Amino acid sequence: MTSFVLRRLGHAVFALWGVMTLVFLMSRMIPGDIAAVAAGRLATPEQVEQMRVTMGLDRPIVVQYFDYLAKALTGDLGSSAYTHRSILVEIGEVLPSTIQLVLLGMFITIVVAVPLGIVAALNEGRARDVAIRVLLVLEGGIPIFWLAIMLRWIFGSIFGWFPITGENSLGAAPPDVTGFTILDSLLFGNAANLADSVSHLILPAVALTAPYISTLARNVRSNMLTAMKSDYITFAVSKGVPPRRVVMRHGLRSALGSTLTIIGMQFGWMVSGAVLVETVFGLQGIGSLMHKSIVNHDTFAVLGSVLVIGFVFVFTSMVVDLAQMLLDPRVRAAQGGKS
Amino acid sequence: MSDVKPPLLDVEHLSIALPASRRVDGQGGDLTLVDDVSFSIRPGERVALVGESGSGKSLTARAIMRLDGEVRLTGSIRWDGGELVGAPEPVLRSLRGDDISMIFQDPMTALNPVLTIGEQVAEPLTVRGMSKTEALARAGEMLDRLRVPRAKERLRAYPGEFSGGMRQRVVMAAALIGQPRLLIADEPTTALDVRVQEQVLDLIVEQSSELGLAVLFITHDLSIVAGLAHQVIVMYRGRFIERQDVDALFAAPQHPYTRGLLGSIPRLDADPSARLSTVDEYMARSREAADA
Amino acid sequence: MILEKEPLLPRNSISGFVSRTLFSRSWPVIDSIAFALVGLLLVLSIVGPWLAPHDPYAVDPLIALEPPSAANWLGTDDTGRDVLSRLLAGAPLTILAAVSVVVGATVIGVLIASIAALSPRWLDDAIMRVTEIFLSLPSLVLALGVTAVLRPSLSSIIIAMVAALWPPTARVTRNILRETMTSAYVESARVIGVSRLRLMLRHALPNSLDAVYVLASMEISGSIVMMSGLAFLGVGAPPPSADWGSMIASGQEFITTAWWISLFPGLAITIAALAFGLVGDAIRRINDPASRRTR
Repeated sequence: MTSFVLRRLGHAVFALWGVMTLVFLMSRMIPGDIAAVAAGRLATPEQVEQMRVTMGLDRPIVVQYFDYLAKALTGDLGSSAYTHRSILVEIGEVLPSTIQLVLLGMFITIVVAVPLGIVAALNEGRARDVAIRVLLVLEGGIPIFWLAIMLRWIFGSIFGWFPITGENSLGAAPPDVTGFTILDSLLFGNAANLADSVSHLILPAVALTAPYISTLARNVRSNMLTAMKSDYITFAVSKGVPPRRVVMRHGLRSALGSTLTIIGMQFGWMVSGAVLVETVFGLQGIGSLMHKSIVNHDTFAVLGSVLVIGFVFVFTSMVVDLAQMLLDPRVRAAQGGKS
Repeated sequence: MSDVKPPLLDVEHLSIALPASRRVDGQGGDLTLVDDVSFSIRPGERVALVGESGSGKSLTARAIMRLDGEVRLTGSIRWDGGELVGAPEPVLRSLRGDDISMIFQDPMTALNPVLTIGEQVAEPLTVRGMSKTEALARAGEMLDRLRVPRAKERLRAYPGEFSGGMRQRVVMAAALIGQPRLLIADEPTTALDVRVQEQVLDLIVEQSSELGLAVLFITHDLSIVAGLAHQVIVMYRGRFIERQDVDALFAAPQHPYTRGLLGSIPRLDADPSARLSTVDEYMARSREAADA
Repeated sequence: MILEKEPLLPRNSISGFVSRTLFSRSWPVIDSIAFALVGLLLVLSIVGPWLAPHDPYAVDPLIALEPPSAANWLGTDDTGRDVLSRLLAGAPLTILAAVSVVVGATVIGVLIASIAALSPRWLDDAIMRVTEIFLSLPSLVLALGVTAVLRPSLSSIIIAMVAALWPPTARVTRNILRETMTSAYVESARVIGVSRLRLMLRHALPNSLDAVYVLASMEISGSIVMMSGLAFLGVGAPPPSADWGSMIASGQEFITTAWWISLFPGLAITIAALAFGLVGDAIRRINDPASRRTR
């Protein structure tokens, strides 16, 4: 078992190294004067030269590469060409907002998709199953950014049920301690803060989840179908186990194995999908930071965000794999470990 | 076997049909899978139901506990005097695992890989309200009885850690823990290798004798029936074609099919280079003799 | 007896694949509708611009922000351009662009996979590791990074999308190729001296193409949405590009007053993604031997 954990860690380290290398290569493929891009549009020629030296662009590429790796590992992702602040600091300020949004989105996805998948599987071929599958196909094709606009318009502007911009209304924000408005409201704020924070996140989170509910529900359905057709289900029935327990304890428990992997990947996908939602709703997350950086030709800030998101993705994949190993004896057995 | 004990299980004119709506071969009307079979099992009696694949033997056995929801049953299955055909589901559920148990062919897939064997063996008891601790204790004892090594420690192990033969013992433990009066064994040895087969068969006979457990044993292999059963039923294409005490069957099989089955079993004392006759050849020969 | 999972007959022709797909026995209505819709969309994306009732790029401030009417069936946008005409003009930009991106990425992916499968172990491993690295980034983020580096334009989106899409194809294809190349019948052919290249071209590659077609058809739907997303974020072709993503972006600020500017392009994307998605799903189901019986 430890060998599996070590191998998985090694895998993650390799992936992280790979992402860093990829980002480095991308940064060196910027057409034109890289230093000028890094220094920003308003930089004077002297500042550009300064940047060239700082970045070591006049040195051999191998030296640049190791220099870059060393800097990245210590947290130096360069400074924004637009704000001249440390890119990592800027990302750090906005990342909690995105994580919070994605966590809320994942919660909604799981709570909606898993029951849908189960119901569809148990009613295979019948009306409920068909209806659910049609629904899933429909909502799987909706573009997130468009859904965001539509939701904002219909439920925000027309019905007025939800606020349409930002994380908090004026004066209702909780004290900014962790950057997670919901957490801050719970720990340091009051009920009004909490209600305000949550209500600002509901529409974006729903918009974010649309395609992922479809994927997850179908996955759950498919796994449940396979599980329910297994011999151990028949055996359980022959022991007199009541239907509910057969489905939940035998069917679901066995079906969810691979679902966990998908859930982990969805976390990463949603973080990247956040860029589409945050800009529509005016949330200050890494997504809108990326967008702003693109608009401002702040290429290195974009690459910094790419790197950070890549790290998050690799990290969550690893966590999910390890969790699977802990929870699913089949995975443990396949890895040759003894429990 | 002229006991005066009333039969435990009394099946009369049972037919099993697949409704037209479930057919995938594009033909209309109900498809009769099992046609008008009748038999009974007395307490402690071991009955072997023999037939080739597709003869309907598994279906017949599964119909007793109504494990197949799609088929239609006509006729009567009486357990302890109570009618099971048409009985509401809760009635059947109360019998399963408690009065009647079943073990299946493939031990590798009969156990849920993500649950411990302790939980799965204890399940017939826990779903009936017994406390987990007590049920697990009994599970440990049961596994001990069936000679699963280090049973109490292995309760928290997963099925994946056991070999085929051991898994079949775990399955048997789960089937016997509720102290059923009838055990249905659906080809429990087919997927096992010969040495393990013998162990499992001996185990079944031993538990049956010790506990007074009736057994309905499904198999396609006549050769294992001799040391096991009191009564033998031969099934072919959905019909019972012979039903006799085991000794009588082996001594003087009536139906050409049975004769064919017996005749095609390799014998230790036969000439190894001689060709075995097939069942079809036996039946053809008897048809010729009848025409003559 | 050695049983092969896939039949040995080379099923390498597109026409074979197509005829098997189209003339499969059981055929739910929904799949027919989907196929028809896809056909319609493809036709529209080719001839659409010619069908436009108005000039998609003609600016006319006098009729700006007009709701749907007899003259402008889907209304006009903030500079007076006819929404329907822009929708039709944008069809090739959205749909054909997505299809070509997928085709391009598939070709590249298969090529790389073939090279990997023919290479010595270390090179194969190295190529696959590189593929894994690409897969360690969510595709949208990778695409955004590439467009940021290359400056926003239509070509940079295309390059970005291809960069994001070739890895899954490469990985799947290479696995199938490896499996086939190490299978029993290929081994016996090798023993009698048939070259690996020939085996690859005649047996392994055709064997893998079914899976490739299925993957590609499923990717088109996602590509339509993702490319529109990139365009929406402003990294695609600059205005006045009529691709559907850009249309949604430009209509965003007028959503409360002129909702039609953003609504219709979004509806179009959804329908297109839906149709291609259903078709991809149908193709997958038809060609999956396991589910063939349960259709």
